[in-house]
Amino acid sequence: MIVKQNLVYYVSISVISLLLGIIVTIVIPAQDPVTPSPLAERYNDLELTGREIYKREGCHYCHTQQVRAPEANRVMIHQKGDIGPESLPGDYYYQSPVFWGTERQGPDLAHLASREGIGDNVQWHLQHFKYPRGMSPGSVMPSFDYLTDAELDALTAYMLTLK
Amino acid sequence: MFLDEPGSASRRFFYSAIFWLLTPGLIGLTLATFLYVPAVYDPLPLAIKPFLSFGRLRPAHVNLAIFGWLSMAYVGAILFVVPRLTRAKLYSERLAHLNLWLWNLMILSALITLPLGLTQGREYAELIWPLDLLLVLNFILLGLNVWGTVLRRTEKKLYISVWNFMVAIIIFVPVYAVGNKIWDPNGAYTGMTDNIVNYFYVHNLFNSWFTTAGVGLALYLLPKLTDKPLYSHRLALWGLWSVWAGQHHQLNSPAPDWLEYLTIVFSILAAVPTIAFTVNFFKTLEGKWHRAADDVALRFLVTGAIFWALTCVQGVAQSFRNFSMAVHFTNWVVGHSHLAFVADYSFWAFGLIYFIVPQLVGRPLYSRKLMEWHYWLTTGGMTVFMVALWIAGLIQAQNWATNSVPFIVTVKAMAPYFLLRLLGGLTAGAGILCFAFNIWQTARQPAPAGAPSPAVVVSGD
Repeated sequence: MIVKQNLVYYVSISVISLLLGIIVTIVIPAQDPVTPSPLAERYNDLELTGREIYKREGCHYCHTQQVRAPEANRVMIHQKGDIGPESLPGDYYYQSPVFWGTERQGPDLAHLASREGIGDNVQWHLQHFKYPRGMSPGSVMPSFDYLTDAELDALTAYMLTLK
Repeated sequence: MFLDEPGSASRRFFYSAIFWLLTPGLIGLTLATFLYVPAVYDPLPLAIKPFLSFGRLRPAHVNLAIFGWLSMAYVGAILFVVPRLTRAKLYSERLAHLNLWLWNLMILSALITLPLGLTQGREYAELIWPLDLLLVLNFILLGLNVWGTVLRRTEKKLYISVWNFMVAIIIFVPVYAVGNKIWDPNGAYTGMTDNIVNYFYVHNLFNSWFTTAGVGLALYLLPKLTDKPLYSHRLALWGLWSVWAGQHHQLNSPAPDWLEYLTIVFSILAAVPTIAFTVNFFKTLEGKWHRAADDVALRFLVTGAIFWALTCVQGVAQSFRNFSMAVHFTNWVVGHSHLAFVADYSFWAFGLIYFIVPQLVGRPLYSRKLMEWHYWLTTGGMTVFMVALWIAGLIQAQNWATNSVPFIVTVKAMAPYFLLRLLGGLTAGAGILCFAFNIWQTARQPAPAGAPSPAVVVSGD
């Protein structure tokens, strides 16, 4: 296709294609009726503070919160299948921003708090944040010993919402 | 501060870009070190630890590299190329200088705010609200200059590259505005929509800005360096359908299935303009390959084009659900993003800078040897870096798929590849130091007496 030497013509095509792209891939999907799932969490103040710390410290660059269908209840974090059930649109109902993530330098955290003995253990989290390799030898996670006790408590409270 | 001398803004954009290449490069090496030897971070003083934490430095690395280095190098080249292709003076050199200062202010602010933990928490959209606004303003100012120059052109026929620049800027402004929700200081949507919009934006940041403008720049440079006209002047209408392919960054996700299938179709369709560009590029190069042996700028351009074709092959493969299921979330993806940003777009930028800076300063490059060192160190280092991460990613994918090894075992298995990545990065970085030193020496040498400043000469194609 040879495009005419006409600015108006060319710009119109570009802008129309962009608008259609926005409508089809953003506006229409946003109309999908999503209702909160049983796992959707309404955060209290402490949990919300913890979530902001999670965002500030960039935890989501190494931890996803997204279990895909083919791996659900199969992939092993500590035990076979403890990655947990498939993530549903409604799980994220109250979240802004969402922390789906794109890398797993560390394990997925979508259902962290359902991993008995570790994920739901407040003391484990506190120790682990301060010195990850003490609790999990071989981990590449940075130590978060610079956070205050209050910040660590909030972050831990947020961890426990990841059921 | 606001010079009116033709070419002065372009020149300063290049110098700024090189500065903003060294900074995220250094951050990247720090991050690579932390991943290989996490213990080096532990004993640091508590007072500085927060600002060097991995999760805060990573967005600084990314944002500085794409909006500082690469975007500013692009702008420097666009400000140089557009007046030549339109046979007109740049619409306003002073406006370009204002653009330059605001752009540097934006990147400097990003370097300060991101390590402070001021972020919107969405990948590639981390910049806080005031910086979002500044970024949009910067692109609008650039657009004014490009469009203003085109409207005053004396060359009737517009070369492909100019079309690409005009469209890239026009599309990118709304993409950024929608993607970063710039009317809302929090900048994030809610629930699943947040991620859908995020990846619409991320995809189109690559597609409408780095690819569309980058292809324009490559198609300007290639005929210049080969003394051959472009093989075909038919336009590959880039952004037109690839705009729709954003969701292929999140396949098998909770997003609607129909949206995933739709983006897969558009990702496969995107192979058409990709093949068109590749054929056009290598047909133009036919019979001129030997020039790349002597001309480092051309060698960077050609190497970048080969890596670009590989990026597109990977990109299409990754947009299939099963392949995505395997490699998504692994280090493969980190390799892929460095393939696109460093080994092709940045390689094109190196070629452009080697071609344009001597014309802007009116004298040849300081050292031919340093150019060779730059090429071999950076190409060799990046190849080791990327291949190590691809292998690492495939190993992670396989380990995860067995469902029978604890996750931490798959983390420990990364160590040798993280070491290779670090060594590759250091080597590539050494090359980049040669590049920066070479341009610096070129810039500070006195101009030969009586030589006219070639920047003033406006010649068309």
